[in-house]
Amino acid sequence: MRGSVTVRGIGLDIVEKGQGRPVLFLHPGEGLQPDHPWLEHLARRHRVIAPFHPGFGGSSLPDWIGSVDDLAYLYLDLAAQMQLKHAVLVGNSFGGWIAAEMAIRNTQRFAGLFLASPLGIKVGGVLDRDIVDMHATPRAELLRLAWADPAKGDTDYTQMPETELAAIARGREALAVFGWKPYMHNPRLKRWLHRIDIPTVLLRGTQDGIISRSYVEAWASEIDRAEFEQLADAGHYPHLEQPAAFAARVEDFIDKL
Amino acid sequence: MRTWYFSEMAYHPAWEKGLARGSLRVNYPNENVDPVDAGQLLNRYLDEFALCDEVGLNIMVNEHHSTATCMTVSVPMALAVIARETKKARLLSLGNPIANRPDPVRVAEEMAWLDCLSGGRLEMGLVKGAPYEIHPANSNPGRLMRRYWEAHDLIVKALSTHDGPFSWEGEFFQYRAVNIWPRPIQQPLPPIWMTGMSVDTGIAAAERGHVVGTLLSGGLAKPMFDAYRKRARELGWEAGPDRMAYAAIIGVGHTREEGLRRAHEIADYVRTAPVVSEPFVNPPGYNSVGANVAMMKAGPRAHRLVTDRNGIPIDHRTATVQQFMDTETVFAGTPDDVYEQLTAFNTRMGGVGNLLFFGQGGHLSHQDAKENISLFGKEVAPRLLELAAPEAAIVAA
Repeated sequence: MRGSVTVRGIGLDIVEKGQGRPVLFLHPGEGLQPDHPWLEHLARRHRVIAPFHPGFGGSSLPDWIGSVDDLAYLYLDLAAQMQLKHAVLVGNSFGGWIAAEMAIRNTQRFAGLFLASPLGIKVGGVLDRDIVDMHATPRAELLRLAWADPAKGDTDYTQMPETELAAIARGREALAVFGWKPYMHNPRLKRWLHRIDIPTVLLRGTQDGIISRSYVEAWASEIDRAEFEQLADAGHYPHLEQPAAFAARVEDFIDKL
Repeated sequence: MRTWYFSEMAYHPAWEKGLARGSLRVNYPNENVDPVDAGQLLNRYLDEFALCDEVGLNIMVNEHHSTATCMTVSVPMALAVIARETKKARLLSLGNPIANRPDPVRVAEEMAWLDCLSGGRLEMGLVKGAPYEIHPANSNPGRLMRRYWEAHDLIVKALSTHDGPFSWEGEFFQYRAVNIWPRPIQQPLPPIWMTGMSVDTGIAAAERGHVVGTLLSGGLAKPMFDAYRKRARELGWEAGPDRMAYAAIIGVGHTREEGLRRAHEIADYVRTAPVVSEPFVNPPGYNSVGANVAMMKAGPRAHRLVTDRNGIPIDHRTATVQQFMDTETVFAGTPDDVYEQLTAFNTRMGGVGNLLFFGQGGHLSHQDAKENISLFGKEVAPRLLELAAPEAAIVAA
C-alpha cells in the first residue's frame, strides 16, 4: 500500500506492506524501488514501513531540510507518530547512514538495527577513499562495482515514463544535497557509534565494490552488540540483488531478538 | 555592438593525448603539462590581450580548473596583469563562478581592487560555472543556484555598502563584519553580467537588469534574449541590445580563405573543450529536472552541444567551419564578410549589444592571433559600434 504521511509538515510518500513486527526500511541512494521483489520477501512475516526520503519518489524536500541529521530526526518523529514499538530499523547504503544517525540519538522504539553496506563513517586517512566516488565513476564501471551481476542493476531510462524519470532526477539531486560534501559520511559519526545499545547486524555483499570488507568491519568494531556478516553473490545492494536471502537473514535476526 | 576579445589561454600541446584518453578535464593528470611551456604560452596570450587595447577592443577573461583547455585559474589574477598593461579597454570578468567560491566577500574585495587599479574599467560577471567545474571545486551541485543567489546578493551588498561593517548570517555564508577596503570606483556598482543558456537565466537577469551572455549557439541564444526582453517589458522597462552578449569564434583575414583558416584553427577549441569523462558532464542537481528527463529519454551520448538554425544537432567534435557558421558558433571571412554576418545575426537575435570575440583557441599562431585581433579591431569593431537594435525588434517591442 502506498500512501502519504505528514511529519513535521513534510509530506512523505510511504509504502507499507505485511503484518507483524514493524520494520522501518530506509532505502539507498538508488531509490526505494517498491515494485522490486525485495519488498514482497521482507513483508512475508513483518509489517514493512518504507518511506521515500525527502526529495525521492513523491516525498517533498523543503528548503530547510538539508542534512542527514535532519533525516534522522524526521524518521525518529515518524516512528513516534506511528507509535512503533519493538520495531526493527533496516537501512542499506545511504539509508544505513540515516539509520545509524537515528540509533546514536534514540533507540527507544527499536529492538534491533540491521545495516546493509552502510555508508556514513570515515575510517581511513585523508588520502584514503573509503567509499567509491559514485559521482565520479562512469555508469558502466559503477555497475560493475556495485553489483555482483551488473546486468541486474542496468536500467533502460529511455523506456520509462517521464514522471518516473523526473522522480529519479529529483532523487539524484537530493542525494547530492545530503551527501556531496563530506562525501557520504559524517566525520564525527564513528565517535558516537558506541551509543548504539541494541543488537546490530552489519551485512555486506561479498561482491560489494563500493565499500570494502574492512570498512564494514570497522563499523562492527565500534558497536558493542554488533555482528558482521557477508551475503554471497551480492554487491552493494543485497536486498535488490538477493531479495530472498536478504529477507531470510533479516527474519533470522528478528527471530532472535 | 561593443566587442570584447577573449581567449581561454589553452594548453593545446596536451590536447592530442587528452583526446585519446577521452578527457581533457578533471581527471587528466597534470604530468601532461610542461610548466615552462605553460609560462611561455601565458606570456604570449597576455601579449595578445595587451594588443587589444591598442586597436580599440575591450577585453574579457574567464577561468576554468583542472583542464588542458584553459590555463586561467583565476580571473582576478589575469585581469590584474591586463589592467596594468592597458589604458582604455573595459575589462570584463566573465567571470567568477560564485556558487563554487567558498568566500564571496573575497570575490567582492578582488573586484573592488581591480576597479580601483583599472581606474573604473571593470565589468563584473557573476557566473554559475560549467558542470565540469563542480568536481575540481568540490562544490555541491545540489541547490547550486540557491547558493549562487546568496553569494550574488552578498557580493552586491559588500560592494555597495559604505557604512559597514555589516553582518551576514545566511543559509550558506556567515560573516561577522563585512567592510571591504578599498571600495569600487564605479558607483553604485560595476556593471554586473550573468551567463546561461536557458530562458530561466534570461528572466532572472532581466529582473535585476544585469547583462546576460551566452555562447556558441544562436538557436539557444534567441529564446533567452527574447525571455529577457519580455520580462523587462513586464517590469516596465525596455531592454536594449546593451543587455545582451554573445560569444563566438571569429576569424578575419585579408582574404576570405585566410579568415576561414584562422576560424578553423580557433575552432579546434570547440572541437576539444567539451571532451570530458562522462560523470563530470551532468552532476546531480546541476541541470533542471526537466533537462535531466530529456537527457535520460534521449539515452547516452545522444545529446549534442549545438544545433543549427533548423534545430539539427551537429557533432562539435568533428564539425567543419561551415557547419559551425550555420550554428552561429563561428563568424569568418574578410572584414566585410564578418561585418555582414554579424549584422544579419544582430537582426536575427533582435539586437545583441556585446560581442565576445573568441580569437585564440590555442592552435592559432601568435602572428595569426595578432593579425586577427588587429584586423578585427581596425576594420570590423568600429562599424559594429554603429550597429543599433534592428528595426524589427523595435517594432515588435
